Amino acid sequence: MAQTMTEKILARVSGRESVKPGDEILARPDFVIAYDFPGYTDVFFREMREDFGVEKVPSPERFVLFIDHMVPAAAPKEEVLHKMTRDWGKAQGVPVYEREGIGHQVSAERGYATPGAFAVHFDGHVSQLGAFGTYAFGARKGVIEPFVSQTMALTVPATVKVELLGTLQPGVMARDVFHHMVRVMGPSSCAFKVVELCGPVIDAMSIEGRQTICGQAMFLGATTMLIAPDAKTLDYVRDRVKIVLDPVYPDADAVYEQVVRIDVSTLAPIVVVPPSPANTRDLVDHVGTEVHTGYLGSCASGRLEDLRIAAEVLRGRHIAPGFQLHVVPTSQAIMAQAAREGLITTLVEAGAFISSPSCDYCFGKIATMSDGQRAVSTGTLNTPGRMGSVDSEIYICNAAVVAASALEGCIADPRPYLAEATRNQGAAK
Amino acid sequence: MSLPILEGRVAWVFAEDDYDIDLIIGVRNIKITDLNELAKLAMCDETPDFAATVRKGDLLVGGRNFGYGHPHYPAMRAMRHLGIAGVVAESFSPGFFRGEISMGFPLITCPGICAAVARGDTLRVDIAQAQVSVLRSGQQLAMQPLSATELGTLEAGGLIPYLKRRLGTPAQTLTSERAP
Repeated sequence: MAQTMTEKILARVSGRESVKPGDEILARPDFVIAYDFPGYTDVFFREMREDFGVEKVPSPERFVLFIDHMVPAAAPKEEVLHKMTRDWGKAQGVPVYEREGIGHQVSAERGYATPGAFAVHFDGHVSQLGAFGTYAFGARKGVIEPFVSQTMALTVPATVKVELLGTLQPGVMARDVFHHMVRVMGPSSCAFKVVELCGPVIDAMSIEGRQTICGQAMFLGATTMLIAPDAKTLDYVRDRVKIVLDPVYPDADAVYEQVVRIDVSTLAPIVVVPPSPANTRDLVDHVGTEVHTGYLGSCASGRLEDLRIAAEVLRGRHIAPGFQLHVVPTSQAIMAQAAREGLITTLVEAGAFISSPSCDYCFGKIATMSDGQRAVSTGTLNTPGRMGSVDSEIYICNAAVVAASALEGCIADPRPYLAEATRNQGAAK
Repeated sequence: MSLPILEGRVAWVFAEDDYDIDLIIGVRNIKITDLNELAKLAMCDETPDFAATVRKGDLLVGGRNFGYGHPHYPAMRAMRHLGIAGVVAESFSPGFFRGEISMGFPLITCPGICAAVARGDTLRVDIAQAQVSVLRSGQQLAMQPLSATELGTLEAGGLIPYLKRRLGTPAQTLTSERAP
């Protein structure tokens, strides 16, 4: 029977020959992933023991914990939570990766993004492991289920195939592509479904760009998003994977609930205006809007291509007086590579405040905005209050737009800066 | 064991699509854990006396993709503390849906509900029959049926009691919980 990637993966992990959308299955996750957060991991640890009498998680090698929120701790109770996580990991034989970066990125670096694997987390942005052909979704508090049993119950979702056609213009990034998909398809267009993403734009796109897009699947309503592995994927995962599985590809005659084709050849940079990630708009219509702070980071963006393009815009220039530009590489590995490439120097000389990886900028725990302030951000969300005061505003955009806006103190188009950088590079050759 | 029929007034209609439920208590308040405090904050940015108007068993009505964004738990914890018994919406965002069903909180997907009701109307929701009735108009709407796991979770009063029940029987554990 012809199957989609999702159907093949879920068939394997439920011990069946095949599955179809709507089937209710018990599936055994290959990986159970979480970061420590009050109300989640501390509660799971307690419920396991007190409600289920489970002292040890089944097959601890499948589990992994990250400490990426509340890093560094800003109050004793936060450090108490981290200590509980470390102690629990040690007692259970479960690895705890701390301060290596945002867990969804480190999951890829550490080999949990295995093509063909099934991974669960409580946080939906784990969908970015789909960039490697992993079926990964956020089960919220439902992730307690694999903490106390081998499996979890789920309904096999239908798949929507999205084919991205054309080529991207300079200054247009994966971030723009995703938010354009939301604009074209609608924020609930894929509700309870899975997106299988393909097409020449994806073929040409970096692994990083694919992570950016897949990680935002929830804003299309999708349970998760996957891309079939290609040579780039297999190169990336070869020496990393935690388990060896056959990569999974969709059958040519797999049944999709819908096939959507979007040509992005004429796409220009976008902004997502407050108060919702549903609000994709053309950047040009918002150029000139005063902004006070910029955030380049998060599990969605903050990778090397984001840092490189920001450096290209900022090289030899200085951000506007009084503007706050926070640059937070997504992982330590990315930060170290950025340092080797000289990007950190360029960004610092331009006036950026560089932080080691942390999730805390994305939700306003630090770099908190006050009433009336406005941010350009590569973070995940623009709900009022997400980055501070409820009377502050967040405009989501790509990394180059954050950098250009930092220079001008208002929402700005990065393309003239990028064109100049290209000319300078040409002249230098 | 079967699910009781929900019958309650519509305490609020969130007519807009893609409603971010963090706004119910305000994003600034999502770290508050005290239920009395949270309940007092419900709808604070819309109407100051919301808490006083809610009766036990009341329902909320939502538009399409209700729960879009990052659906943190405090908003519905506050609503449950006030006596809200469930949400009937055009459709739900999957993360929100999964999260709240696991709390044992009925979420009813019912296309057409927004046009059929106003605040204060009484709704009758029969989950077993997958039917929603608006008592004032007599209008009947179909709700999207729940999966066996979702029904079981609601019947048990949440995921933890449901899992205890499901995992509790050794015979069942052996057959259905064996790793593939």
